[in-house]
Amino acid sequence: MRLWPRALSVRLAVMFALVSTLLLGLIGFSLYQSLQREIAWRDDQALLGRLERMQALLDDSQSIEALRSRPQLYENMLGNRDSLLWIIDDAGQRLIEINPTLMPLPVLPAAERATLGDSPSSEPLRLAWLDVTRGDRRLTLIAGKLLSEREQMLAAYRLKLWLALSVGAFLAFGFGWLVSLRGLQPVRQLAMRAAAIDVQHLYLRLDEFKDVSELQALSKALNLMLARLEDGFAQLSRFSEDLAHEMRTPLSNLMGHAQQTLARPRSVDEYQNLLVSNLEEYDRLARMIDSMLFLARTEQVDASINRQLVDLHELVEQLCEYFDGTAQECAIELINKGSGTLVADPQLVRRALANLLANALRYGIPDSAVTISSSLYDGVVEISVHNFGEPIAAEHLPRLFERFYRCDPSRNQPDDSGGLGLAIVRSIMHAHGGQVRVTSTQAGTSFSLLFPLDSA
Amino acid sequence: MRILVVEDEVKTADYLSKGLGESGYRVDVALNGLDGQHQVQEHEFDLIILDVMLPGLDGWQLLQIIRRKLQTPVLFLTARDAVEDRVKGLELGADDYLVKPFSYAELLARVRTLLRRGPPREVEQFQVADLHLDLLRRKVTRNGERVTLTNKEFSLLHLLLSREGEVLSRTLIASHVWQMNFDSDTNVVDVAIRRLRAKVDDPYQLKLIHTVRGMGYMLEAQS
Repeated sequence: MRLWPRALSVRLAVMFALVSTLLLGLIGFSLYQSLQREIAWRDDQALLGRLERMQALLDDSQSIEALRSRPQLYENMLGNRDSLLWIIDDAGQRLIEINPTLMPLPVLPAAERATLGDSPSSEPLRLAWLDVTRGDRRLTLIAGKLLSEREQMLAAYRLKLWLALSVGAFLAFGFGWLVSLRGLQPVRQLAMRAAAIDVQHLYLRLDEFKDVSELQALSKALNLMLARLEDGFAQLSRFSEDLAHEMRTPLSNLMGHAQQTLARPRSVDEYQNLLVSNLEEYDRLARMIDSMLFLARTEQVDASINRQLVDLHELVEQLCEYFDGTAQECAIELINKGSGTLVADPQLVRRALANLLANALRYGIPDSAVTISSSLYDGVVEISVHNFGEPIAAEHLPRLFERFYRCDPSRNQPDDSGGLGLAIVRSIMHAHGGQVRVTSTQAGTSFSLLFPLDSA
Repeated sequence: MRILVVEDEVKTADYLSKGLGESGYRVDVALNGLDGQHQVQEHEFDLIILDVMLPGLDGWQLLQIIRRKLQTPVLFLTARDAVEDRVKGLELGADDYLVKPFSYAELLARVRTLLRRGPPREVEQFQVADLHLDLLRRKVTRNGERVTLTNKEFSLLHLLLSREGEVLSRTLIASHVWQMNFDSDTNVVDVAIRRLRAKVDDPYQLKLIHTVRGMGYMLEAQS
């Protein structure tokens, strides 16, 4: 069974009621305590006063006998059923006894001064007593008060307190619930607004609750999330569109070329040419699909990468060897300034750097150098690939890492990476928790891979 | 050598059986799993090429049935190259796998490797026509003259010589010589071959390194 209610308003109301009960209870308890103490103090003062008056009477009267024969002197003093009075001599004789409920005579220790105490008997009884000497007689004066009346009064008071407490808690719950319902109204509005946003309406935003600071933060955060989602969604649909378009070009080449060749009989050479040209297109398609799959896998949140300690100089050297021939043909010198180590997936880093190097060689100007360098600062390992060449226009820089993005849409070289090379670099860096940066000026273009040191 | 191709895609089955037939193998084709199971029980094969996605009995089930009795090498073909799929195939007892789309040269190379029974001989001397390579001394001569090669050129020539007569795809060359295990869209391999040719082939009458258009490169003494 679920004890804790689901609705936030009911929870708040319950908490409200609990807090109110606790507060009311504390106040009631302390008021009750002070009342009880006050009544007890006044009763005690009354008992002591009675003893004094008894003493005064004894001083006035010549003898106890005279006092006993003038009962009206103290009867009117008592007058009610819960007051008791005894005067006892040292032989234990009850000289005067006013005891309407016939309580047994309490046994009390000697007291030179007026003393207060509770009677040890079964009925609650408050006593004040005093030993006095009259001539040669020692007398004990005892005044008492039965507490049953007081108990009754306090019990009634307690009952009232409990009633007030329960009614208070109940009211607190009710009011709390109403207040929470009202207070949570903006949340319901937010929910309704959010429910209206689906794939077709990703451009909608939530109202910013300017007058409710908590909700303002929430709606702001949600709106930011929506903006990111809209962005991602737009990128995704643009991407599928681009993909279809990218596949269309090789397919139309394949179809057109084949149909044109089949239109009339050809020589064996021509057929061979067709097949070879087809193969090149197939290769392009296959590579594109491979790259797409690679991107899809590396971008999965749980993509597992195989981190190892990588020697950067060695890794870069391997790549330089790989591109050695190509670089020599472009009259570009490859300079390895890599040093130190990095914990990363060597296959992926190699692939990222290979893509960057291929670009650097493609766009580097002849008789210059392409430099691969590494540095360590602020907990980041940076590997940069720098080449001299025409700077990339500033408007292209932020979009360079998008899939299929080309600075010049008309340029579609056979050896280019189909517009996925830099997207792959970025996804590899994301998989490592790092990022990729590009700067391009007259001094050349530099791509930097930034690996956070603590990602391992 | 007799090879069984279990493949439901008719075009694939067709070109595989034609191609392997041209390479001198006797090829039987089964177009579904049950037929494949029947063939395996009736005849003896040296190699089975198995597609994973089959109607009726799928490739994994057929592989389990085969492995209950036979140790025939199995090469499986799959369009899904998720790591789990490859691991599953190899755990079930397959000997090798290829992910579609694969290059035909690659398939042929794998088939040859699987049919080469026993561990490959460690060859230290290679001789094709008047080209000689000595692996231990890292020395290459052509027509008796010393040819000086860089490390990578030497590895490339060694790879071509050890697979003499086989077409090697660019991907295979890149992964063997430079350990670049991804499809590279650069012309690195072509450049390397061109530079190797300049030293090994160009000065001589008889050309040994051949371009197989659309497929890759091959070293062979063709008359």
